[in-house]
Amino acid sequence: MRLIGGWLLSAFATTPLLCAPATGSAVPVAVQPENQPGTQTGTETGTHQIGDQTDQLIRSLTRPAPASIAFTEVRLSPLLQEPLIVSGELGYSGPASLDRRVMHPYRELTTVRGESVRVEREGEPVRSFALKRAPELRGLLSGFSALLTGDTASLRRNFDISSRLESDDWAITMTPTDAKARRRIKQLSATGHDTEPRCFTLTIADGGSSVMLLGDASKQTIPTQATAEQLDALCNKPLQP
Amino acid sequence: MSRSPQAVALFIVWSLVLALLGWYVQRELVVSTDMRLFLPTPTTPTQHLLLEEIGEGPASRVLVMALAGAAPETLADASRQLVEELQKSPQFGFVTNGEMSLDTVPDELWPYRFLLSPALDKHRLDTPYLHAQLQARMRDLSSPAGVFFEPILPRDPTLELLNVLQNWQPMQEPNRQFDVWFDRAGARALLLAQTRAAAFDPDQQRLAVDAVNRAFAAVNANGHLELTLSGAGAFSVLMKGRTQDEAQTLGTAATVGMILLLLIAYRSVGSLILSTLPLASAGIAGLVAVSSVFGEVHGITLAFGFTLIGVAQDYPLHLLSHRRPGQPLLELVRELWPTLATGMASTCIAYLSFLFSGVIGLAQLACFTMAGLAMAGLTTRFLLPRVMDTHGRDTGQSAWLDRIWRCIASLPRPRWAAPLIVLLCLAVTVWAPQPMWENDLGTLTPVPRDLLLRDQELRSQLGTPDIRYMLVLNVHDDEQALRRLEQLDAPLQKLIKRGAITGYDHAARYVPAAATQLARRQQLPDETTLRTALRAALVGSSFREGVFEPFISEVQQARQLPPLTVEQLRASPLGSSLEMLLSRRGDRSMALVTFSGVKDAKALETLIDTTVQDAVLLDLKAASLSLVAQQRTRILWSLLISAVLLTGVIAFSLRSAARVRRVLTPMLLTTTITIALLQAAGVSLSLFHLIALMLAAGLGLDYALFFEHAADDPYEQRRTLHAVLVSSLSTLMVFVVLSTSQLPVMQAMGVTVSLGVIFNFVLALLLTRPEAGREK
Repeated sequence: MRLIGGWLLSAFATTPLLCAPATGSAVPVAVQPENQPGTQTGTETGTHQIGDQTDQLIRSLTRPAPASIAFTEVRLSPLLQEPLIVSGELGYSGPASLDRRVMHPYRELTTVRGESVRVEREGEPVRSFALKRAPELRGLLSGFSALLTGDTASLRRNFDISSRLESDDWAITMTPTDAKARRRIKQLSATGHDTEPRCFTLTIADGGSSVMLLGDASKQTIPTQATAEQLDALCNKPLQP
Repeated sequence: MSRSPQAVALFIVWSLVLALLGWYVQRELVVSTDMRLFLPTPTTPTQHLLLEEIGEGPASRVLVMALAGAAPETLADASRQLVEELQKSPQFGFVTNGEMSLDTVPDELWPYRFLLSPALDKHRLDTPYLHAQLQARMRDLSSPAGVFFEPILPRDPTLELLNVLQNWQPMQEPNRQFDVWFDRAGARALLLAQTRAAAFDPDQQRLAVDAVNRAFAAVNANGHLELTLSGAGAFSVLMKGRTQDEAQTLGTAATVGMILLLLIAYRSVGSLILSTLPLASAGIAGLVAVSSVFGEVHGITLAFGFTLIGVAQDYPLHLLSHRRPGQPLLELVRELWPTLATGMASTCIAYLSFLFSGVIGLAQLACFTMAGLAMAGLTTRFLLPRVMDTHGRDTGQSAWLDRIWRCIASLPRPRWAAPLIVLLCLAVTVWAPQPMWENDLGTLTPVPRDLLLRDQELRSQLGTPDIRYMLVLNVHDDEQALRRLEQLDAPLQKLIKRGAITGYDHAARYVPAAATQLARRQQLPDETTLRTALRAALVGSSFREGVFEPFISEVQQARQLPPLTVEQLRASPLGSSLEMLLSRRGDRSMALVTFSGVKDAKALETLIDTTVQDAVLLDLKAASLSLVAQQRTRILWSLLISAVLLTGVIAFSLRSAARVRRVLTPMLLTTTITIALLQAAGVSLSLFHLIALMLAAGLGLDYALFFEHAADDPYEQRRTLHAVLVSSLSTLMVFVVLSTSQLPVMQAMGVTVSLGVIFNFVLALLLTRPEAGREK
């Protein structure tokens, strides 16, 4: 399962400048709770005292391509009275290439290649746009790419990072340091168990968010009127006894 | 050295005056680089348009960039970065790699989308349309594109603005990869940038090219990428650099050679320095004359002018070569003056024809040369003898010159050959496979052919407008123009289907006619209707009610809007492409339709003849050919008139038909032979060949006049031989050096004048030298 966590993060490494060669940084370090001081009680590290824990955690998630994983994405937006829920499969085939295949409730294929995003949907003309036009997405991708390559220096330059670790459950939270970026993206977070990721969540400043449940977590039934709090609970379930 | 104090004083004053004048002139000098000064003056509106297009038209101001050397994704990223960098530069009106951006649309133009979008001709903002649109937006929102669309959805749920921008893209869309333009092979990312400066302005273009190079350096941090920059502006920068480098090298070589030659010939540094004074005076006189008559001097006038007044160097050489012991220089110069003055006057008369050629650059050149030659002649006559050393080597005593002269004297005088040569030359000229005259303005360009071909290739990949064909619509006002343009759409689309053209562009694609906009406005629902329709459309969607209030209010705003005018759009950052497509000419509007990929010009012509009024299809290539041909006819006529005048002057000076014939024959023969040789070598004659032939003819006339003058006295003959030998050798050397130039124009001049000098010298010796029997 560690494999999956790594490749997914790699999938977001679409900014070539930030991205290390696919195999270069792939030295997984298992996060063994017994190696971590204070794991019995749960630890929290803030921006200014990121210890070995966060570094090791991040490094443990680094993985090369290719791979695929099922997902369910819940999109919350102030424009919407109920969340939009789609599910399908994510495929990762290289440092800057991600395929997002929606299978339900309609079919759609999104391909991210480098700086370019392309959306193909049945019965509609292909639409493509550049990452630069979508600062939210770019923030997300650059954050994850730095995370993936274990480039904590770059991560700290762009984000305030904190991580939590309790038993085998973990959560990494990243807040953009740049005020301009913060106007659109409030926070990025990743949660998981051992080396298996459970959720990636992008919280948008206007109150919307996109919660992506991964792997086994994607198989749960999501209530049609799910709220951000409910989703948060789903993502962090084991952390909340 | 035995120079009187007066001579020294005069020398100092002369040099000082020259230095002061030179300093003043170069400070006040305005050098123009507008190539069009050397193009014929346009007479028809088509020709006016042609020249405008050449210098300032959008096609000429567009620089094409190609990025290569990496994987397409990397190139696409680099292309984006390059655009971002270049958009900061004040040098460019617009820079694009084909990517569309809503950010570039000013807020006040947003509501106009309902008047501009052709999508609203097919659909109304009613329930079915809105419902379909909202369903599509829900899917957009849950796709990664959602983050991109979300902020604009409340305002523009039908993505109408995107439709408008899409519609503004070139019709023949270049290949796209990763959202940006690529060549068909997908190996090079392509970009376009339009400079604010005109193409012929090398200084401004230099800044633009520098900006591109700086931006590229920033993008290409690891050095893997290659940038190709192409376009008229880039070429003018490249050529200016090359010309300057070459002028420097060739100029230095020629100067060193000249100094050596003169030192060998006269063995005196003093004479050498003094002999340059008339030439320096000539240069300054030429500059002063052109500046005061024309207000500015073209760079080419300067370059060619200094080459042409090089003839003036011969004047002091004659004085130096003809020195003999015991004869005061002033007396000598009085003897030489009639010959010198005849040569000078006739050369000036020859240049007179350029003064009336209708080409400003040539008129400048004529003015420069005439003023220069006159000054050189007058200073040689009145000043030089007063500062020069009387005692020099008498070249008349030279034994080897005597031997050469005897040798020459024993040569046959093949008068009979002249008609034969003329016939032969005519035959060559008539039967040479290439056209006698070069009518294509394009061949005057010093830009290497491979660069031009690459430029063409890049432009065709980008689908930039064909520069040859263009439709011009001349009507009362903008609205009328836009309406006519809209009427053209249907037939032009038919032509695209038939494959006659691949695309077209005109102002109405950006700003529809007011009538069309008003018709669309008419279709917009009022607030209550829209609210009802929207409420119904929201059924079955997840959108909250009330989020589309901004949309409702903008539709209502659009219902009150007066139609968007061309001026409004032109004033916005989006209007750069409109600039040349529609403009005011006096109290009328002129609209252009540009075409790309024209394959069937006939079909285009037929269509325009049958469907639109007030429209003309321009064939700019035909216009340029006719312009050049028409201009040449004029120049040839004025040359003929000067030839008659010139004969008159020589006849007046020599007062004998036989002498006139002897003087003129070598020059005329040389001109015929040179033309024939050029034609035999496959060269079509251009304007610059004519200039060169004129220069050679002027030189030949001088040689013949001096040989004629020296007819009787053996010492005098040797001195003349020396003078003509030195001056023809020095001229020959300069032009042989010039003929090694990489620039076609310079090379043409070099070869033509070199040939001219050789034939003039040989023929003057053979035909103009005195009868052997008359030798004393």
